[in-house]
Amino acid sequence: MNEAELRSAMGAHRWLQSLRLRDTLLTPGLKSEAQLREEEAALFDPLNLAGADVLEVGAANGAFSLAALRRGARRVLATDHLPWTLPGSDALSATQWAAHALGAPLETRAQDPRELSAAFGSFHLVLATACFEQWFNPILALRGLRSVTNRILLLETMQDALADARPIMMAQSHHAPIGGVQGSWVAGWAPNPPLMLQLLIDLGFDRILYRNHPSLGSARGIYAALLPEAPDGLLAGFAAPWANLTHPQG
Amino acid sequence: MALMSSFAPRLSDADLLARIQSYHWWHSIALREGLTTFGGKTEAILAQEEQALLSPFDLAGRSVIDIGAWNGYFSFAAKRRGAARVLATDSYIWNHPIWRGRETFDLARAELGLDVEALMLDPPQITPQLGLFDVVMFLGVFYHLYDPIEVMARLRGITRQLLLVETHSDLTDQARPGMVFYPGAILNQDATNWWGPNPATMLHLFLQLGFTRIFYRDHPTLGRARGIYAAFTPEVAEGLILRFDDNWRDLDVPGAIEALVTA
Repeated sequence: MNEAELRSAMGAHRWLQSLRLRDTLLTPGLKSEAQLREEEAALFDPLNLAGADVLEVGAANGAFSLAALRRGARRVLATDHLPWTLPGSDALSATQWAAHALGAPLETRAQDPRELSAAFGSFHLVLATACFEQWFNPILALRGLRSVTNRILLLETMQDALADARPIMMAQSHHAPIGGVQGSWVAGWAPNPPLMLQLLIDLGFDRILYRNHPSLGSARGIYAALLPEAPDGLLAGFAAPWANLTHPQG
Repeated sequence: MALMSSFAPRLSDADLLARIQSYHWWHSIALREGLTTFGGKTEAILAQEEQALLSPFDLAGRSVIDIGAWNGYFSFAAKRRGAARVLATDSYIWNHPIWRGRETFDLARAELGLDVEALMLDPPQITPQLGLFDVVMFLGVFYHLYDPIEVMARLRGITRQLLLVETHSDLTDQARPGMVFYPGAILNQDATNWWGPNPATMLHLFLQLGFTRIFYRDHPTLGRARGIYAAFTPEVAEGLILRFDDNWRDLDVPGAIEALVTA
């Protein structure tokens, strides 16, 4: 496909994320390339993804999954639920088209994270961005994510109740650009760091690191949660601004 | 007619007292004249709770399920108020080696002679196969669940008309919906306490689950620290509601949460 054909085909889709398909060709996504790049760096720079099996939950158009492939992941499975399954949704076909246009061996599957279980598979790295605020039941969804993680869970989320030291989550109902052209109302939650720490510990993660979002500060947080099976060597890349919540002196 | 009666012989007052004394009780239930179980909750408090919870409704002929029945006070109350079928369920307390809740329930039921069914049931195991009930009572259980959201969704699936919830509350000074999590035994030195929702959270959950009318009142003796919610499905029969007194407020109207927070 030449660039004109690519541009035409690209225009047939609605884009959640700005994906660079060619030097002069960028999908017109709601999330900018610059923000995706800084989030990718915040999420992945501490890790060596070479040879890793990666599952992304809430992939939208797959920007982070495609980045994981660029960074050497062996296998990347991109999943999403409501944005890929609501009536009128275009995001899954857009994602599949983008992966094809890039020649990227990206696997895709529509998947409700609440229904994940060990039978689904096992991944070195499970990534979920902007999901907690779209999960009606984050407790069940986190349990699903834990069941398919064998080393590290990376979770980026909206946060709230930051002034309270107690573990809290606040309910969120917001209009999201998913489903049909008119978008959809989505109900979810925004946790504070004390709650995330406790929920992740309860799921069996024993080393939990945290940093603020690279440009939005503490309004959004990024958590890296390691299972006991994950070697300590994985921690080496987590320099400041990452902080170790479970071992503050470590 | 059965050839042999399955009823145990009536206990003497002394034997019944001995049986009562052999258990720990949470509900104070008058089993006979002068013989009341020694519950952590007094008869007076239970009477006020029953009045607050059940007096707005006409239970005559309804089917009722009690989730977390403990010694059975509210199951018995529903039956006495004319419910056609009452199913008392519990798991944690009924299986607990110290509380021995099922034995206490069986003793009280036999002594009161009430036709109340019993089922060992853990709330996360609730499925639509249980059937639909006109009234679902979920009293003092929400905050004991690690995942109350999942159980609320399951309760919706068995509620034909009314879900009645009583729960510990927190963040009651906030109009925005939020829940506090209690790791370990932070809340009341009780490791079985997990979450404290505020009324806005409960409203949010009810509406998301498809309940269309939601009413709220403070607990009759503990005030805002605990909340009582009546959430109705679109299929509610007009005759189910007798009258909400002035303690109740309509929660699903604009400004209701803000008014509650400042009340």
